[in-house]
Amino acid sequence: MWKLGESTVGRRVNLTGIAVLVFFLLLGILVSMRLTGLGRTFPNPVGGVIQRLASPVENVILSVGNRIKRDTRALWSFDQVEKENVALRRDVNKLTGENLSLKEQILAGMRYAALDQGEFRSPALDKYAKVGATIIDRNPTAWYQTLTLNRGSADGVAVNDPVIANLGLVGKVVSVTAKTAEVLLITDGQGQVSALVRGSSGNPTFGIVQGTYKAGSRLTSTGHLEMLFRRADKVNVGDLVLTSGLGGVYPVDIPVGKVQEVQLDKTGLLKTAYIDPLVNFDSLEEVYIVKTVGGK
Amino acid sequence: MRRFLILAFLLFLTLVLPGTLFHLLAWSGIKPDLTMLLVIYIAQHSRPASALAWGLGAGLVEDLYLGHFVGMYSLTLTVVALLTLYLNSRWYRENFILTVLLVFLVTAVGQLLIGFLGFGAGLSWSAGDIFRVVLGVSVYNAVLVLVTYPWIHRSFMQGWLRYQAKYER
Repeated sequence: MWKLGESTVGRRVNLTGIAVLVFFLLLGILVSMRLTGLGRTFPNPVGGVIQRLASPVENVILSVGNRIKRDTRALWSFDQVEKENVALRRDVNKLTGENLSLKEQILAGMRYAALDQGEFRSPALDKYAKVGATIIDRNPTAWYQTLTLNRGSADGVAVNDPVIANLGLVGKVVSVTAKTAEVLLITDGQGQVSALVRGSSGNPTFGIVQGTYKAGSRLTSTGHLEMLFRRADKVNVGDLVLTSGLGGVYPVDIPVGKVQEVQLDKTGLLKTAYIDPLVNFDSLEEVYIVKTVGGK
Repeated sequence: MRRFLILAFLLFLTLVLPGTLFHLLAWSGIKPDLTMLLVIYIAQHSRPASALAWGLGAGLVEDLYLGHFVGMYSLTLTVVALLTLYLNSRWYRENFILTVLLVFLVTAVGQLLIGFLGFGAGLSWSAGDIFRVVLGVSVYNAVLVLVTYPWIHRSFMQGWLRYQAKYER
């Protein structure tokens, strides 16, 4: 009986004690958690020692792990790497295009500089402002020989402004938008240039240079320019043809071409000089627009 | 002593690895709770007093290592050890599938307790976050059982982690 009673009492005491212990333990833990929450500082030498021991190990594991992960990233995230690859290839193509464009601009700048130094010097041109332009398009039809330049009225370009290249005359502006200008080449049948032929004697012979380009005749052997003279005019093969400055469009002394061939007319009264242009129109990339209309 | 040192070293690894190796193997930000897994293993293979002492000790070390909310892991890992002892006395620990289930359940309870204590400490975790973490960590720990349990069980039974009574030493 005593034993039972002692046992029962002892058990009751123990259960109560355990309950009280657990209660205070929980309370203590909650208080401890409150006191050592985020942003609270408290002396933690044991934690400091563990951190000091762990940090070199952590550093090694993390750096090795990062390296392995980096080296095997293509395996773990194949889709992502593939997408990145596509994006990078697109960027490379874009940058290559930009690089080529910049190189072209540098080359164009160098050619402008060469043009400025002048294959020819015309004092008549010096009094006009000039603007460099790049050919951005050629007439897609077979009806006209025109070029489109990347300069327009915003750059001070106007209709009838002459266009020149490093070796000579190219044509004149026939239409202008804010950012572009269309140039009719002197080789086109619609364009005429008041010109003169300066022979070896130095005396000029005046005339009109006419483009021979018409639909379907571009590839004929007669050349792209021709000029009519009287039979008595002294014009020889190899003579230089220059603008005369009389037409009101082109300034004087801009080279047009060289006489390639001279033929007598059937009537015997006139002769035709076939002129080879100095400018290679097919490979032309940059030109100067001479602002004769609004840019003196 | 050797058993104690090895377990202490394993405890050290369980503190270091989640922030390093398992940070790299994180699964949507979820990492395993290796200390909890180790306490479960110890509780499965130790006597009650030893298991509770390891739970409390490992929890306290983790609290001090983390440097905040001291008591959170002490209480949690003690409860984890207690729950493991309870389940282990009823479930056959040689059964691999039951061990996986045990680890999943005990980890879930432990993580829930951490979430509950976090509320008590004034942390503002959403119910969705708690659910995600509890489920994720429990699954991760259960998956790790497949990799770790065979060799650690063998070590506890026959190897360096085997408990030796005083008369055997």
